[in-house]
Amino acid sequence: MAFAPLDPVLHNQLRLAVVSLLVGVEEADFTFILEKTGATRGNLSVQLSKLKEVGYIKVKKTFKENYPNTSCALTPQGITAFEQYVAAIKEYLG
Amino acid sequence: MDKDLTPEQSLKVIESMIGQAKKSFSRMSFYFLLWGVLLIVAMAATYLLRNGSEAFSQGASWGIAGLIGGILSSIHGAREGRRQPVNNPMDRVIGWIWGAFVITMMIVIAASVSNHQDPGGMITLLTGFATFLTGQIMRFKPLIIGGVLFWIAGLAMHFTNDPLTLTALYCGSMFFGYIIPGLMLKNQEDGLRTA
Repeated sequence: MAFAPLDPVLHNQLRLAVVSLLVGVEEADFTFILEKTGATRGNLSVQLSKLKEVGYIKVKKTFKENYPNTSCALTPQGITAFEQYVAAIKEYLG
Repeated sequence: MDKDLTPEQSLKVIESMIGQAKKSFSRMSFYFLLWGVLLIVAMAATYLLRNGSEAFSQGASWGIAGLIGGILSSIHGAREGRRQPVNNPMDRVIGWIWGAFVITMMIVIAASVSNHQDPGGMITLLTGFATFLTGQIMRFKPLIIGGVLFWIAGLAMHFTNDPLTLTALYCGSMFFGYIIPGLMLKNQEDGLRTA
């Protein structure tokens, strides 16, 4: 039996953590994701850019209480990719 | 945190992050503490001034408490909404529950007053309903227990007309249903903020 290939974008610890976190919320600030994932700012920025490039998340830059704020949300494409990834993982785990 | 994963590790990451998201509610302790204090004071004022002032005997203290609570809750809600680092859909569900509670409470008050009945018992039962559901959604046991206490107090209030017993039941349920869970929730929120 051939297993479905795992999405290489999501098959990375930090990117998977970000997407899993965003699945449970509608939108989250950069600082919130940073705190929950325990990643470094630089690494998180890079991984968010990758997720944005493939269209899995949308990034919104605004001002919150006079300070620049970056917030992220999953796109429908990101939700589908996550669901497919979870289904593939379940297959691997039998 | 930047490496490839085994399927087991993937599953752990997913579970852990979804668990984190589920715990990410906005700060709600303020509302329980504010309304708990205001409503206990309103009930105590109604009891103490019931023979001295016609306005208070007819429920002026509830109107004043409602006005102060409404204004402070709105200001706090608007400020927290701007600061909130995450939008959890469950926050909105909890908001709907309390919105529906307020509408139902208004109808109950209007219907009871027009029938010359005390709405206290019914409102306490409704408070139990909203508090219990909020506790279940947040998975916060003190609020769940608080909701059950409101139900017990609301039921007991239907079997007495004694003002002191009614006051004790209402204030007691507010203390154990709002104030104590509110303080415990505040401790938890402060802990999460500094973690």
